[in-house]
Amino acid sequence: MVRLPYTTALTTLFSYGLLFVFGQLRDQFRKILDLFKSSSLKEKGYAPICLGLEDFYTRRLYLRIQDCFSRPISSAPDAWFDVVERQSNDGNKTLYRTGKSTRCLNLGSYNYLGFASADEYCTPRVINSLKKYSPSTCSVRVDGGTTKLHEELEDLIAKYVGQPAAVCFGMGYVTNSAIIPVLIGKGGLIISDSLNHSSIINGARGSGATVRVFQHNTPSHLEEVLREQISEGQPRTHRPWKKIIVIVEGIYSMEGELCKLPEIVAVCKKYKAYTYLDEAHSIGAIGKSGRGLCELLGVNPTDIDIMMGTFTKSFGSCGGYIAASKEIIEYLMYTCPAHLYATSMSPPAVEQVISAIKVVLGEDGSNRGAIKLLQIRENSNFFRSELQKMGFEVLGDNDSPVMPIMLYNPAKIPSFSRECLENNVAIVTVAFPATPLLLARARICISASHTRVDLIKALEVISRVGEDVGIKYFPVEPMKPQLQPQPQVENIPGFQH
Amino acid sequence: MAKLYVQTTQPTDLNKNTEWFMYPGVWTTYILILFFSWLLVLSVFGCTPGMAWTIINLSHFIITYQFFHWKKGTPFAEDQGIYNALTWWEQMDNGKQLTKNRKFLTVVPVVLYLIASHTTDYQQPMLLLNTLAVIVLVVAKFPNMHKVRIFGING
Repeated sequence: MVRLPYTTALTTLFSYGLLFVFGQLRDQFRKILDLFKSSSLKEKGYAPICLGLEDFYTRRLYLRIQDCFSRPISSAPDAWFDVVERQSNDGNKTLYRTGKSTRCLNLGSYNYLGFASADEYCTPRVINSLKKYSPSTCSVRVDGGTTKLHEELEDLIAKYVGQPAAVCFGMGYVTNSAIIPVLIGKGGLIISDSLNHSSIINGARGSGATVRVFQHNTPSHLEEVLREQISEGQPRTHRPWKKIIVIVEGIYSMEGELCKLPEIVAVCKKYKAYTYLDEAHSIGAIGKSGRGLCELLGVNPTDIDIMMGTFTKSFGSCGGYIAASKEIIEYLMYTCPAHLYATSMSPPAVEQVISAIKVVLGEDGSNRGAIKLLQIRENSNFFRSELQKMGFEVLGDNDSPVMPIMLYNPAKIPSFSRECLENNVAIVTVAFPATPLLLARARICISASHTRVDLIKALEVISRVGEDVGIKYFPVEPMKPQLQPQPQVENIPGFQH
Repeated sequence: MAKLYVQTTQPTDLNKNTEWFMYPGVWTTYILILFFSWLLVLSVFGCTPGMAWTIINLSHFIITYQFFHWKKGTPFAEDQGIYNALTWWEQMDNGKQLTKNRKFLTVVPVVLYLIASHTTDYQQPMLLLNTLAVIVLVVAKFPNMHKVRIFGING
C-alpha cells in the first residue's frame, strides 16, 4: 500500500508519456535514416533478431540512464567498497571504464550479517577447504559431487531452519525454477503472491500448472481465490485440482515487507493447500537467532510444507536450499534436474555457509553471531525511523533490513543515483519492469557491518540529495534535541542469545 | 496548497504493458494531455477553436488507433512474446470486456467528437472527417471485435 501525492501521479504518467513519445520519434527517424543503409544479413534473407518493438523499452528508456545500473565494483562488497568509474562519449549508449575507482558507502549489497568480506572465523576455514577440496567438484551431485561438506551443510541447514531434511543447490534462482516444475505439473494449481520474484514466476510457468495470483500479502483475497478455484476445478474439464500450492516470500525484496505468514498458513490449512515459503531475504536476517520469518512471527516450521532459501544474502556465499520433510527431500533428490544434472555447490562456498551458520548460532565459541543479529535489527530500525522522520516515503515493516525509498518520477531515478554517487554513497535504484511503472524506488539494504557513523553519514547525504531531487513527499518531523551518540555495542559480559 | 494523497495497492495484472493503466491519476492525465495539446495547437497555428478541436480529434484518432488497435505485442522482451498476437486494447484488463477503463476509453472519442463538431458548427469537410474518426474508433472498441481481424489485415 503506497501513498503518493496526486500531483506526483499525474506528473509521473506525463513524464513516461513524454519519454514514450520521444522514443517513438527517434525510432521513426532511425527507420527513415536506415532506409538508405543496407544490411548485408537482411539481403541474404535472415530475419532480424528481435522485432523492432520488443526492445523499445531497453533502447529508448533504459539505455538513457544506463550508467545508474550494473556499476562494476573492484573490491569485496563490505560496508565500504570501491566503485569503478565509467564514462560515455555517445550519450550513454556505450560506457567505458576510466580506470579509477571511488571508495563508497555500500547501501546496495545483500550483506545482511556482514559476511561479505573476510571474516576471522569463516575465511581461514574456507581457504582450508579450498586447498583440500579444490574450487569445484567438477561433477553433478549424483555422480561424484557430494562431499562430506555437502552432507554436513544439508544436516546443518535442516536443523537450523527446523525441518527434518534439506537439499542444497548451486544457484538460488535455479532452486526455485527447477524445483517448482518437479513438485507440481499439469492439472495442479499454483497460487502465488502478485509480487513474487521472477524465479518463482519462471518455475511456475515452466511447470505447466495453472497459475493464479492473489493480491499482495492479503490473506482474505487468498481465501477468495482459493474458494473460487476449488469450486470451479480445472479449466474446461472442471475436475478437482490434483494439487494446490500457495507460494509466498518471507521478505519481499522490492517492498521490504514481511509476509503475513500466520494468517496465510491458517487459510492454506483450512483449504488443504500446500505452502511454499521462499526465505531468500529473511533467512539469517530476522528472528531472534536468525532463523527467519517463522521464528519472528511464531509459526511452527513444520506447518510449512516446503521452505526454500538462498545462501547469497545473509551467509555471504552462493547457492540455495530446500528444507522439507524427509520424503519430499528424497523425492527431490531423484527427480529434480538441478540435483541430477547441475554441478554441485563449490566446496569453499559450502564451507563458508557452514562457518557462517556456526558463527550465527554461537557454536564458534564467541557471541559475534548474536551481536551481528542485534546490530542488523538496530541498524534497520534506526535507519528506517530516521528516514521516515525526514519526510521520505519508506516502505517495509520494522525489523526488515530492506527499505525502498519511493522516487516515482522517471527523471528522479538517475538524478538521485548520480548525486548520491558524487557524495560517495552507492545506492541501487530500481525502475520498471522490476517494479510497477509508476512506483520507481531506491532500495537500501542495511548490513550488520554498517556502523552508526556510516549510517549517520548516509542519512545526511540522502537527506541533502532527497531535498534537491524533491522526494520528501511527506511532512518533515521537527528536530528534537539530540543526545550524545550511543557507544558501539562491544562484547557485553553476560550477553547470550 | 495541502497535498492530496492517493493510496494504491499493486494491481494483480501480470501484463506490465497494461498494468500502468490501473493506477490513480491516469484518466485525469489523459484528459489534461488532450486539453493542453488543444491549447498548444491554438497557440501554434492561430486557428479558430473549432479547427483546433478538429485537429486534436483527428490526431487523437491516428495516435490511439496506431497504439491501441494496430501495434501488437509489448515493448519489452521479459514476457517472451506471449502477447505478440494481441493489440494493446485486447491485452487491457486481461481481455475482460466492459470494464471501467474500457468504458472510459470508449467515451473519450465520442466526447471529443461532440466538442469538435459543435465548435465547428457542423460544417462539411470537418464533420465528415470527425464522424469517420469516431465511427472507426468506437467500432474498434466493441466487445464483439475482440481479436477480430477484418480481411486478415494486421493478423
